[in-house]
Amino acid sequence: MNAFQYATAHSTGSARELVGDKGAYLAGGNDLLGLLKDYLISTDTLVNIKSLPGLGKIERGSKSWTLGALVTVAHIENDADIKKAFPGLHEAASEIASLQIRNVATVGGNLAQHSRCWYFRHRDIQCLKKHGGLCYARNSENRYHSLFTGNDCISPVVSSLATTFAALDATAIVLRDGKELRWSMADLYADAWKNPYAHNSLQPGDLILRVEIPTSRSRSAYMQVSDKHTFDWALVSCAAAAELTDGKLKSPRVALGSISPKPHEVAEANEFLDGKVLDDATATRAADLILRDAKPLEFNGYKVPMAHALIRRTLLKLKGDV
Amino acid sequence: MPSWPAETKYISHATTRIDGPAKVTGRARYSSDIQENGWLYGMILRSKWPTAKITDINLDKALQIPGIKAAVLARDKNMTVRYYGEELAAVAGTTKQACLDALRAIEVTAEALPFVVRENDAKKPDAPRVWENAPNYPAPRARDHGDVDTAFGQCAAVIEGFYSAPVQIHNPMETMGNTVSWTDDGVTAWSSTQGISSVRDGLAGSLRLDQSKVRVITEYMGGGFGAKFGAGVEGVLAAKLSKEAKAPVRLMLTRFDQALAVGNRPSSFQKIKMGAAADGTLLAFEAENYGTAGIGAGGDSGGGGGGADIPMPYLYKVPNTRVKQSAVAVNAGSARAFRAPGNPPASFGMESAMDDLAVKLGMDPLEFRLKNDPNKIRQHEYALGAEKFGWKQKYQKPGSSPGVVKTGIGCAGAAWPAGGPSRNTNGEAQINPDGSIEFRLGVQDIGTGTRTVIAVVAAEMLGLKPEQITVKVGDTRFPPGPGSGGSTTCASISPTVYDICTKALEQLQTLSGIADARGENWFKACKKIGINPITVHGQWIEGLSTNPAGGVQFAEVDVDTETGLVTVKKMLGVHDCGLIIDTLTLESQINGGIIMGMGYALYEERVMDDLSGVVLNPNFETYKLPGIADVPEIEVILVNMPERGVIGIGEPATVPTAGAIANAVANAIGVRVGSLPITPAKILAALGKVPPATA
Repeated sequence: MNAFQYATAHSTGSARELVGDKGAYLAGGNDLLGLLKDYLISTDTLVNIKSLPGLGKIERGSKSWTLGALVTVAHIENDADIKKAFPGLHEAASEIASLQIRNVATVGGNLAQHSRCWYFRHRDIQCLKKHGGLCYARNSENRYHSLFTGNDCISPVVSSLATTFAALDATAIVLRDGKELRWSMADLYADAWKNPYAHNSLQPGDLILRVEIPTSRSRSAYMQVSDKHTFDWALVSCAAAAELTDGKLKSPRVALGSISPKPHEVAEANEFLDGKVLDDATATRAADLILRDAKPLEFNGYKVPMAHALIRRTLLKLKGDV
Repeated sequence: MPSWPAETKYISHATTRIDGPAKVTGRARYSSDIQENGWLYGMILRSKWPTAKITDINLDKALQIPGIKAAVLARDKNMTVRYYGEELAAVAGTTKQACLDALRAIEVTAEALPFVVRENDAKKPDAPRVWENAPNYPAPRARDHGDVDTAFGQCAAVIEGFYSAPVQIHNPMETMGNTVSWTDDGVTAWSSTQGISSVRDGLAGSLRLDQSKVRVITEYMGGGFGAKFGAGVEGVLAAKLSKEAKAPVRLMLTRFDQALAVGNRPSSFQKIKMGAAADGTLLAFEAENYGTAGIGAGGDSGGGGGGADIPMPYLYKVPNTRVKQSAVAVNAGSARAFRAPGNPPASFGMESAMDDLAVKLGMDPLEFRLKNDPNKIRQHEYALGAEKFGWKQKYQKPGSSPGVVKTGIGCAGAAWPAGGPSRNTNGEAQINPDGSIEFRLGVQDIGTGTRTVIAVVAAEMLGLKPEQITVKVGDTRFPPGPGSGGSTTCASISPTVYDICTKALEQLQTLSGIADARGENWFKACKKIGINPITVHGQWIEGLSTNPAGGVQFAEVDVDTETGLVTVKKMLGVHDCGLIIDTLTLESQINGGIIMGMGYALYEERVMDDLSGVVLNPNFETYKLPGIADVPEIEVILVNMPERGVIGIGEPATVPTAGAIANAVANAIGVRVGSLPITPAKILAALGKVPPATA
């Protein structure tokens, strides 16, 4: 990797100051160090934010819960209350990477992680996302890529937490030059949808502080399919959340990962589901709506039936037997 | 004729590895652990072009990087590279980062040339040529037996199938590499190798040194599987760097390097037409096979070829056959021997075709095999395995398993023609007056338990305990032994140790006057040999080892027909083992073979990008290997056949796994996925669920 300065920040203010325009925040470092070691990015200053006060906590409110950006994925996975309040979040956390990675991976890092596209990650390929002229994946090996995109890059978002937060209608609080911005997951990835060079909407110096999850949906579920049974990226992931009263869905939300540069949500499907009795036909109709505009490429068409199955299963899982 | 003892205390029983504690405590030193005084890191600069004419490589700026002590060219400043990742130059320095900086500072002037990386593209007449003076796809060689065309006319059922397997990359736990120290006295190389002697000779040849000036040491190494017989480009470069820097150089490849240039298993594309009579007797077989060995079958292929040909028809007796085979060159790293070269793809293709034909005939696939497999041992193994597996109770018609998640079973067979001894195996033992004894053999332990095998045989023969035997291997200063490949090590060293022990007992009898120096008498006899130890030499002798080896495997899988996910629920391996030396190391080797076969069946595939010519998945993120959660219960039945003597089983253990799993998948879902690896995407495609591309 290229040389950089290293500093530890003890307040968000000093963190912002230290990181400047060309620095990067270091928390778990799973993605960041890999990017640096592969010379995919370089940074003049690495700002250790692990000592920032208050960001490692889970706060349990009546209307919403707050996860600090430094809360680890393993913490989410192992927290018994989260498992009760947001079972889908527990399920998503427990499927991320390996135990070793989950122990250090943070909420903020999971949301901010960069594209896993194998062209982007390749040291000798200057793809569109790296300001080259061509999206190689669009024209060649696209088995792991998007069914939906608003630009020429087809690299999908792979954050399982983002998928689940989207279904739970969570809000990311981002610190930008001293001001707190409140972003939905759609906001957080809006730039990736329209801009091939972006993988999220964060600007240099922006820092994810925490995520607020409303408690209004007591039911949630997450499922993914990978080539392997564990420690493998999702080919498709799906999260769903709702309140269920008298067998009827209230405020349902479904989101999918790994098929679009942002968590894939279709408002029409959520509206269709609202007030419906949850059964196979309903779930199937929702899946149809969610995938209606999918644009499969040469090698990723399998994601359509896979996503369809996952949507149905994840929705039906909301019924639970609990 | 010598013979193995009929009653045994250690042979054919379970002995834990004598070097287990050293491995788990970290005392065992692998090549990457060697830290000679003043050692440097070594790293290789590789071509970023799949094909190019290199006109200059300027090392000056690299040599100016602080900490860099040497930089050398891989070949010449003017050269043609023919694949992405081909070696251009190498540097040695005091830190990893200095080396990385130096690699980035080397200036390479090159003219990129057209390339082709996919087999189908390379076959086209107008494709860029990988080698200027030879076609990419030479005319297939044809072999004919009997009258195929007439025989097909007499068949009650005929199937035609297309079965393909991708290039599999060599990824042992320990990557390739060496620590090399070049001094005025000669070269010492701590190599991660399967063949200390072949590395010694290779280094001596490349460096123009007397073989006596090169010493190779392999105390411990982390797997080779056919990739590690030679010094390799990386070994020669480490030596040149050491000479230049006047310091030891440790050059271990990275995972990235490993994906590009260390050899691989060729791909295989098999078009098979096969027919049988109504009673299930195979009558006709016609096949065309081609695959790629990259730019060619590489050097350093000791222990088996790295070519793209496979044995066809595999295992089964077919009176009328027509087989055409060829290889297609592409701009990618060359092939090399890979655990049972030729056999896993051959087994996968043939065994898939066997099941497809059995289905068409309406026969139980196991019955169909028993009808056509001429090998008595496999017949016995199928019977044993079927009973244990519950084949009859579990077998259902293809696709008839109810529900969304469907269960299926399959089986397949393996042959390994080698698995016998290497006659040129020598060893010695030093026996001390205090009764301690040290065996020294110029072989190496590639992870299979060579030291333990030596200790078990010696303990048995001398009436001692395995832990009383000291074993030294992995040094070219010891009496020479064979490379560990082709499943030959165990069958080579066991008779050699037997010979040493027999001679040691004879000498002890002469020296001590004690008629039988074994067991309780051992220490008494040793006391009488005088103040100097005695050294006893021995070699491989006839009559205690043999070949070939084979086996059969059964697989049970679940296939989720909505997501395409395959879950292997159970693997059963039944393998003939000749005279078993140690049941524990043997079972471990079969477990490993099956897990490696699972990778071939379900996960592993080198992905080449046709736009850029690079290997797209040079890492374990997207070059997928089975993890612990993917591995099911593995049951192993060892068929002990002491009357056959010692054989090797390392290779057959991995041969039938992919065929058995592929057949279980086809049995579950009722359609054939003819292409490895069997991914969720391919399952869904086979089930007709994948919509066409829209762009």
